Amino acid sequence: MMGLLAWAWVFTLPGLVLTALGVPRDRRYAGYASLAGPVVLLVVAVVALLGGGSSSVAFENWLPFLPDGAYRALADELSALMLAILGFVAAVVYVYSLGYMADDPGKRRFFVYLDLFVASMALLVLAGNLAVLLIGWTGVGISSFLLISFWRDRPGTLSAGLQALAANAVGDGALLLAASIVPTGCGPLVTLSTQQCAAGPGGAELLALLLFIAAAAKSAQGPLYFWLPNAMAGPTPISALIHAATMVAAGVYVLVRTHALLELAPQVSLAIAIIGTATAIAASLASVFQANFKKGIAYSTIAQLGYMFAGVGVGAPFTGLFHLFTHASFKALLFLAAGIVIHGAGGRESLAELRGLGRFFAFSLWGFLIGSLALIGTPLVTAGSFSKDAIIDAALANQPVIGWILLLGVTMTGLYIGRLFGIVYLAPAADQHAVHHDPSAERPMNWSIVPLMLGSIVLGYLGNWLRTVLSGPLGPMEPLPPVPNLTGGLAFTLGALGFVVAVWYVRRPEYAAAPGETSYRADAWVRAIADAGYAASASLSRIQSGVLTRYVFGSVVAVAAILLIRVSLR
Amino acid sequence: MSSEGLVLATAVGLFAIGSVGALLHRHPVAMLMSIEVMLNAANLLIVLGARVRGLADAESAALIVLVLAAAEAVIGLGLALALFRRKLVPDIDEAAEVRG
Repeated sequence: MMGLLAWAWVFTLPGLVLTALGVPRDRRYAGYASLAGPVVLLVVAVVALLGGGSSSVAFENWLPFLPDGAYRALADELSALMLAILGFVAAVVYVYSLGYMADDPGKRRFFVYLDLFVASMALLVLAGNLAVLLIGWTGVGISSFLLISFWRDRPGTLSAGLQALAANAVGDGALLLAASIVPTGCGPLVTLSTQQCAAGPGGAELLALLLFIAAAAKSAQGPLYFWLPNAMAGPTPISALIHAATMVAAGVYVLVRTHALLELAPQVSLAIAIIGTATAIAASLASVFQANFKKGIAYSTIAQLGYMFAGVGVGAPFTGLFHLFTHASFKALLFLAAGIVIHGAGGRESLAELRGLGRFFAFSLWGFLIGSLALIGTPLVTAGSFSKDAIIDAALANQPVIGWILLLGVTMTGLYIGRLFGIVYLAPAADQHAVHHDPSAERPMNWSIVPLMLGSIVLGYLGNWLRTVLSGPLGPMEPLPPVPNLTGGLAFTLGALGFVVAVWYVRRPEYAAAPGETSYRADAWVRAIADAGYAASASLSRIQSGVLTRYVFGSVVAVAAILLIRVSLR
Repeated sequence: MSSEGLVLATAVGLFAIGSVGALLHRHPVAMLMSIEVMLNAANLLIVLGARVRGLADAESAALIVLVLAAAEAVIGLGLALALFRRKLVPDIDEAAEVRG
């Protein structure tokens, strides 16, 4: 089965061609031709994962201008797991989209883009060397752009898509550089840590740093976070599939895949842990102040990716991967549940307009509740607790300061998700007449999120099994902490506390009177940073006077200073 | 003083003259000439180094510098002429229009 899986990126292409050619002709059934692709992908990936083993495909000298320009695809247990996640969430999202996009004139185009995305994502996961990884990497970036800017005529969608492209271009550049500096014969992605690879210019550190920059751009970490909240301009199913479950997790996947290389570069690992932690805290804080429902969840995604990065950075890559696995399920659930309300409210997304409307959508209410509980990490009954506690535990053991910050950060998780849940689902309805039920469109949406609900509950129990299965491609992995344990209980208590406080706060009538009241306080911080930048550039730009003699004087002084420093350092 | 020392001192002296000239002159053509002097000082050093180390191919680098200097002079003179046509003052500081 692994042999077949190595060609998994082909699975959605027949659907792409058929849908693009307008099969079936009846517009009501547009997109049905694409449905088989992700299901086949899911089945093949699961069977291959259960069967184990590995299989690779290689065509030598395919891109002769690169040091390692062969086409290499590698299907092993890790790729099978990622493809199973991709197939699972994609299958759910395809069915959901049949309802969500039912009345959209661009439905066919939507499914064609979706197929393109799944194909590129599969290629990314199957990549056996950097050259193929780069192709998949760029492919998902382009399909992400196409889908963010899907509603071309709405204001802001194009600029949001271009921002995503720009951020991804930083990562693509880093990856291209990495692909150019690996010496010939360095071997596939899994063995980037060999002596020969580290012999390239800059050694293992530079290679690891470039991979980290690429991963940070894809996973919206550190300063490259900015595109993800704006990517919410796209349709909600896209936010769930691409910007929560699969594509943004690609960065974590690559870091896990090359974790042996990170072990050779301890400083880069530490940087990953610090940046992941800082991003997790900052994004949680930003989420509390969002005025837009989907952006609130988007910042939550950035924060959870931060937790994964921190897990990888503290030397526990499996915990990061495990959190990726459970997070894909519950974050897609949160987005799709939110999408049901947004669809029912005629595309409104602001929290002020959606206030209290969630209670009219039972599936959405329960889906969002389960997703929230998994996000906080409710022990035993949700998947999130297993993986998030594993990260916090590993961090406490290896980098105690980071561990404590991550542990306390769960309070923020509870606050922001409790705020969203309280405003949309528990508060008294602001405007009941804004709700329009459309049973034929709602049915596929409602039932498609049921598998995600089940996944958010049970997937955590697969942890130890996954650890055994993945010991082949990843080597021996750190053990998972038993559940329930003390840290997990503490984290849950903090998170639940935040959740309850937030729900209480937003349900007060005074909050409803001024729903936008707190929305822009976070912006003040961002604006302060921007103002500082402007002030610095205003004072520095005075140097650019246009007076040539001053320029010459500056150059002479600078050259003299450089020479003096060099001589004195000798 | 050895002959190498003499050439070295000449090169340093030429470079100093050139850089002071580039700093003090405000006439564009005079500045260009000063830069040429600095380039020639650097060229002299290259030839000297090639001689001392016995590297024949290093001397060819000096030829490249000569060509570069010629190209630079062509562009620089063209710019100076264009500037003079527009401003009618042969003063480089009077021509500053950028407001930082």
